[in-house]
Amino acid sequence: MENIDFGIDLGTTNSGIGRFQNGKVTVFKNPVGFKETLPSVVAYRNDRILIGDKAREFTKVNPEHVFSSFKRKMGSEFIYKIPNSNEEKSAIDFSTLILKELVNFVGEEKPKGAVITIPASFDTIQSNATKTAGHQAGFQEVVLLQEPIAACLAYANTQNIETAETKKWLVYDFGGGTFDVALVKINDRELKVIDHQGNNFLGGIDIDQLMVEHLLCPSLEPLLNEEKLWKKMVGVNQTSYKKLLIELVYKAEEAKKELSINTSTFIEIEVNGNFIELEITREQFNELIAPKVAETIKLTKLLLEKNNVSNAEIDRIILVGGTTYIPYIRTTLSKSFECYVDSTIDPTTAIIVGAAYFAGTKTLKPDNHELKKEIPVAAKEPQRAVKLVYEVNTQDSEELLTGLVEGDFSGYYRITRSDGGFDTGLMPFHSRFNEFLKVLPKATNYFNVKILDKFQNIVHEKDALAINHGIYNISGQPLPNDICIEVDDTLGTTYLEKVFKKNEILPLSKKIYKTISKTILKGTSDKLILNVVEGNAATSPASNLCIGYLEIDAKNLESNLLKGTDIEINFEISESRDLAIGIYIDSIGLEQREVFNASSRNISIEKMRSELNGVLNDIDEEIEGYAYSQSGDMVENLNEIRIGIIELLRELIEAEDDAVTDKIFNIDERKRKVFQQFDQLVREKNVLLEIEEYQACKQEIREELLHKPNLKIERTFDNLIKNENIFINSNQLSIIRSKIKELKKLSRELYYQNDDAYIELFYDYKHLDVMFYENAAQAESLFEKGEQAAEKRNISELKSVISALYNLLKIKPKDYFEDQNGTLGLR
Amino acid sequence: MKNIINQIFEIESKLNTQEKGNLQRNFERLYYELEQKGYKIVNPIGQTYDERDLSIEANLLTENGRQKITKVLKPVVYHNVDGVYTLIQKAVVIVE
Repeated sequence: MENIDFGIDLGTTNSGIGRFQNGKVTVFKNPVGFKETLPSVVAYRNDRILIGDKAREFTKVNPEHVFSSFKRKMGSEFIYKIPNSNEEKSAIDFSTLILKELVNFVGEEKPKGAVITIPASFDTIQSNATKTAGHQAGFQEVVLLQEPIAACLAYANTQNIETAETKKWLVYDFGGGTFDVALVKINDRELKVIDHQGNNFLGGIDIDQLMVEHLLCPSLEPLLNEEKLWKKMVGVNQTSYKKLLIELVYKAEEAKKELSINTSTFIEIEVNGNFIELEITREQFNELIAPKVAETIKLTKLLLEKNNVSNAEIDRIILVGGTTYIPYIRTTLSKSFECYVDSTIDPTTAIIVGAAYFAGTKTLKPDNHELKKEIPVAAKEPQRAVKLVYEVNTQDSEELLTGLVEGDFSGYYRITRSDGGFDTGLMPFHSRFNEFLKVLPKATNYFNVKILDKFQNIVHEKDALAINHGIYNISGQPLPNDICIEVDDTLGTTYLEKVFKKNEILPLSKKIYKTISKTILKGTSDKLILNVVEGNAATSPASNLCIGYLEIDAKNLESNLLKGTDIEINFEISESRDLAIGIYIDSIGLEQREVFNASSRNISIEKMRSELNGVLNDIDEEIEGYAYSQSGDMVENLNEIRIGIIELLRELIEAEDDAVTDKIFNIDERKRKVFQQFDQLVREKNVLLEIEEYQACKQEIREELLHKPNLKIERTFDNLIKNENIFINSNQLSIIRSKIKELKKLSRELYYQNDDAYIELFYDYKHLDVMFYENAAQAESLFEKGEQAAEKRNISELKSVISALYNLLKIKPKDYFEDQNGTLGLR
Repeated sequence: MKNIINQIFEIESKLNTQEKGNLQRNFERLYYELEQKGYKIVNPIGQTYDERDLSIEANLLTENGRQKITKVLKPVVYHNVDGVYTLIQKAVVIVE
C-alpha cells in the first residue's frame, strides 16, 4: 500500500512542504529563491498573480492588492475583492494557491495526498475549509494534523524518545508574527492537545521594531537633530524617514541573529554620508526583550494553571518558530518552568518535519469520489499543441519568448529561471503570450515554461529551455580559433592557456591575472615575454600563429621585478580582429598598452630560434626512442622534419639582417607547419604515455594510503585529482606532466612517513665518496654517528646527521620536484 | 563565502568616489578571484524594479510607475557548479 508521505505546514505567515522517504524527512526548497519556507501571501499586480516573497514586497505600498494572514479567515464567509478584475476570492481560494505553489517545490513525483497542519484552535468548520483547500489543490486525500502534535512528532521521531509512560510536553511556538503555546499529552498510544493559549500579534518582528525604537533611534536623534525619531518614522504623514526605517529594521534583524551566536555585535548606519557604529550587547538585548518574553511566559503559566498542571509535571518544552533561536528565551523558559528545553531540531521547519513523519504512517486511500463531487473541477483539457518561439542566443539583458497554444485556449502561463532568480508569476492569456525573459549575463540560462488551465492545473510543461547570453551571437563574427597566451609551467617548458574560446563572438574583452615566474633584475638582458597566439590550445605553443607579441625589457625597468609579483593583463579584440594588450604591474607601477593589427605579424627571431632548437632536441630524443623500438617509418618521418628544422635555422641566420623582404614571415609560416607535423606525429602517443604514468602514480599513492592512512596527504591527493576528467582530456602535455609531478611529490612525502626511509637516505649519503664533502674527517665522524643511530633506530638523531651531511656536501643534490623558473616570465 | 562577499561589498560601498578610484583595481581583482571560484556577484543599483526578478528582496518605498533600486544592502550572489548557476543570496535593496 502506498503512503501519503507528504506533510505541509500551511502557516499564517509562512508555509512549507516535506516528504517522508526511507525513514527520513526531506524539507523541500523553493525552486525559485531556494528557501525552505514560502510566505503565505498572494498579490495581484495588474493581471499577474504573485505568490510568496515577491507578493510580500507590495504589502506596504499597495496593500489593497496583497492578501496575507487569510488563514485567520478560514471557514468564515469573508470574501476578498480583487481590485481591477472585481473577482471575488475566499480564504480557501488563497490557501489553494499556496498549496499549489508548495507542490511546485517537489520534483517530478507530485503528491497524491498530504497531511496538512492546522492550529490547535481550529474548529470543525475551519478544519473542513482547510481540507477543501487541499482537495482544490489537487490532493486526492487530505489528512489534518494539529500543529503542536506535528511539532511533538518531529522531536519524538528525530530523537527516538521513549514514551512508555504518559508525559506532558509544552509546545512553545514563537514565530515571526504570532505566539502559541500548547499543552500536549504524549504516550506510546496517543498524542493529544489538552489545551492551548496564544497571541496573534506577538512575534519576531515586534522584537526588531523594539530594537529600532529603543536602541537605534536614541543614538541617531542627536546626529539627525531630531526628537521623537521613532514616532516620526512610523507616523502616518512622515515619509522622509521611510527609507531609514527599512534599513534600520533590516539591520536590527541581522543584529538579532548575530546576538544568538555572539555576545555582542555592531550595527553600522550611514547618516548624511558618515558611518556611525553602535555596539549592542546581548545583555542590552535581553533587557529590551524581557517584557515580550515575560508576556509569553505569562500565557504559558496561565495555560498550566487553567489545566491544574504543575511545573514538575512538564517533561520538556519543545521549541517551534524562528524567534526561539534567541538564547534568552531558552534560558528564561528553563528557569521559569524548571524543566528541559529541547532545541535539538530546526524550529523553523519542525512542523513540516512532524507532518511528513505522520504522512509516512498514513495509507493513501483509493480515490475519494464522495469528496471529489463537492469540489469544482474543470473538464479535462484536451491535449493541445504548444509552440514556443525565442532566440537561443542573445546579447540583450532580456529576450522575448512568444508562446502559441493551438485552438481557443484561456489559461495562465508561468516561466521560471532554473538558477532561482526569475519568476513571472501566474499570467493569464488567451491562445498567445509574449514575455521578455530576464537573462543572467555571460551564462546559459535555463527556463521552465508551464501552461496552466483556468483552474491553474498544469496542461503543458517545457523544462530546460536554454537561452545563451553573450556566448554566441548570430549577428557577430565568431572567432575561428582559440586565442591563447603562452605561459610557463613549473617544469621549465611552456603551454597555452585559453583567453578566448573558438566561436566566441567579436568584439571581446577579458582581464586575467598572472604572476611573474622568474625574478627579472633591472638593467640586465633578461625580459618578460607576452606571446599571444591564435590556434588550438591543445597543441604546442610554437605551432600556432603569433598575433600579439610584447617584450618588457629589463633594461627599461625602474626596479626589479620579483618572482611571484602579480600582473594584470587586459585583452581586447575588435570586430576587425585588432588585438590590444594592456598590462599593469602594481608593485613597480608599470602600465603599458599595445595594439596589434590583424594584417601585420609580430615575430621575434630570437624566440623563433629558441623554439626551433627546443623542438630539434625533442626530435632527437624521439628518434632515439623509435630507433630503439625499431619503428623505421617513424624514424624516417621524424628525420624529414629534423632536416626541415635545420634548414629553417640556417635560413633564420640569413634573414637576421633582412629588414626589407618578408622572408622572416615565410620562415615563420614554415616553422608552424613543421611544428604541426611534429605535433601530429608524436603528441597523441606522448599524451597517452603521460596519462598512463599519471594513472600509475595515482594507483601507487592510493595503495600506499590504504596501508598507511594519512588524513593530510589524503586530502591533498583528493584535491589534486578532483578535476581529473578536465585535465586528462585537455590534451595538454604540460598540464598532465605538472599533475604527475605533484603526485610524485606526494608520493615522496608518503615515503618519508616511514622510519626506514631515513635509514636508506643515510646510507645514500654514506655511500658517497668522502671527496664530495667539504670536510672528510667531519663526514667520517657523522657516518659513525649515523651508523649508531640507525642501529638503535634513533630517527631524530639520524635526521640531524643527514641534515649535517647535506650541509657538508660540496654540490647539493638537485631537487627534481622543485618548481623551475619560467622562460617567458609569466605563469 | 557569502559573509566574505558581503564584507567586500560593504567595504566598497563605504568608500567615497576618490577612495574608490584608488582601490578600483583591487576590488576588480577580488571579484575576479571570486568569479574563478564560481561566484557571480551582481550589484543591482540603479536597475528598474522588476516584480519578476526573484534575485532581489525589495523594500518598496512608493508605488509610482518605474521605480529604481536606490540602495543595495546586500548584493545578489550566484554560485556556479559544473556550469549551472544557482542563486545563493538574494540582494536586499531599497526601491523608490
